[in-house]
Amino acid sequence: MYKIVGTFCILAGCAGFGCARVRQEKDRIRYLRGFIHVIRRIQDEISYGKHTLPEICRILADESEAWCAPYFEEIYRQMMQESGRGLKEAWDGQMKACMQDLPLQEEERDIIMKLPAFLGLQEETRQAMSFSQSVELLGRKCRQAEDAYENRAKMIHSVSILAGLLLSILLL
Amino acid sequence: MGREEIIHMFPERMRGRWHKVADLYDQLQEIRLRAGMAATILLGQSEKFVGVKGQIVDRQEQGDRMTPQELDEILQHLCQYSLYAFADEIRQGFLTIQGGHRVGLAGQVILNDEGGIRNIKYIRYLNIRIAHQIKGAADPVMRFLYDKGQVRNTLLVSPPGCGKTTMLRDIIRQVSDGTTFGQGVNVSVVDERSEIAGSYMGIPQNDVGRRTDVMDGCPKVEGMMMLIRSMAPRVLAVDELGSERDIEALRMASGCGCKLIATVHGESLEEIQNKKYMRYVMEEGMFDRYVVLERQDGNCVVEGIYDREGQRCIR
Repeated sequence: MYKIVGTFCILAGCAGFGCARVRQEKDRIRYLRGFIHVIRRIQDEISYGKHTLPEICRILADESEAWCAPYFEEIYRQMMQESGRGLKEAWDGQMKACMQDLPLQEEERDIIMKLPAFLGLQEETRQAMSFSQSVELLGRKCRQAEDAYENRAKMIHSVSILAGLLLSILLL
Repeated sequence: MGREEIIHMFPERMRGRWHKVADLYDQLQEIRLRAGMAATILLGQSEKFVGVKGQIVDRQEQGDRMTPQELDEILQHLCQYSLYAFADEIRQGFLTIQGGHRVGLAGQVILNDEGGIRNIKYIRYLNIRIAHQIKGAADPVMRFLYDKGQVRNTLLVSPPGCGKTTMLRDIIRQVSDGTTFGQGVNVSVVDERSEIAGSYMGIPQNDVGRRTDVMDGCPKVEGMMMLIRSMAPRVLAVDELGSERDIEALRMASGCGCKLIATVHGESLEEIQNKKYMRYVMEEGMFDRYVVLERQDGNCVVEGIYDREGQRCIR
């Protein structure tokens, strides 16, 4: 009886681990899409609204998803209300905190951290366009992740169950 | 608040150098930053320089030279890292920043195909003019600007740097809030160069009265027409009349029943009479009062207040 229960627990644990890995992949795609949406919104607010970046951060704080909204609110607060901190410092601190627990790859984090480096153009359309490369790079990463997701999900599920079986057999 | 505004003009890493300057906020008139030169400050009428550790020094050689990179950084910071949002102002050569302070810019101009200014690059000269609103600046003239509780059409005449915008701002505030000479009325201001209200992100940084609406950064003629149509002002105020089109717009505003308060560059009434577009204004009697300012012994004073016929009401 104990052996059956143990085997069941091992199988369930391995399957759960597999599901968590699959969810992490799914979340990565979701957050990548989220960041692409954020950058596109920044582009729109620059080219159509001609809002300043702190104002854009406030708009994003109001209209973005809960996982990133508080960080944009904090960037706005630091730049406008607290100490008049520079965008780069505020962005670095808050985006680092925002992405700390997100399942993103190092390269993807880099793209987001480097966004302030594209600032400094006087014409709004060109300034908005300067973020296009970042959108393109993140978009490519996102498409790769989406393409790989189906196959990887199946593979992870299968491997985790097989690993569970193998572990059970070994222990038995 | 003023002290903090000075500190916040600069990026965090440079702020240590500006504490002593900020402490002198009340006397501070200008901060001039030029690439390769020491930062210059104007305290009252005297010129000083900022040293490496932020100390105020008398000689340029003792000052800390600004680098082009530092100027770029300061400009970015002043524009909230959003140069594109200030492109129109940069093209005109100035920005208005929080607190209503104005930053003059100079650098290399890039022209467009039509020969107009496309933008300015290599901005290597910044002149930060510190705004000090002087409430009560118009007190000596206010009683002459009312007739049985109604605001009179008034033209302020003054040479540059004599405080006509300061006086206009205070007249607007008092007319808007109301004085012992008349009740407060709705005032509309066309603030073409953001000098009167010093609007920053749409909010006046100077007190221009509680019944005042400001059309910021808008050309005078278009602004006057828009405000008359949309805000139904009792009083319309504009700064620095300078063309026949301005006068034509004023004439239309006057025809709509608005009272006018305006300013014009000039040393005296005689001088503005010699300007073609102003001569008709005076002949028509568009203004009921002319307030002439002048500089005496380094101080700006009211030279005289004149009526519609050019007769002196007071000296």
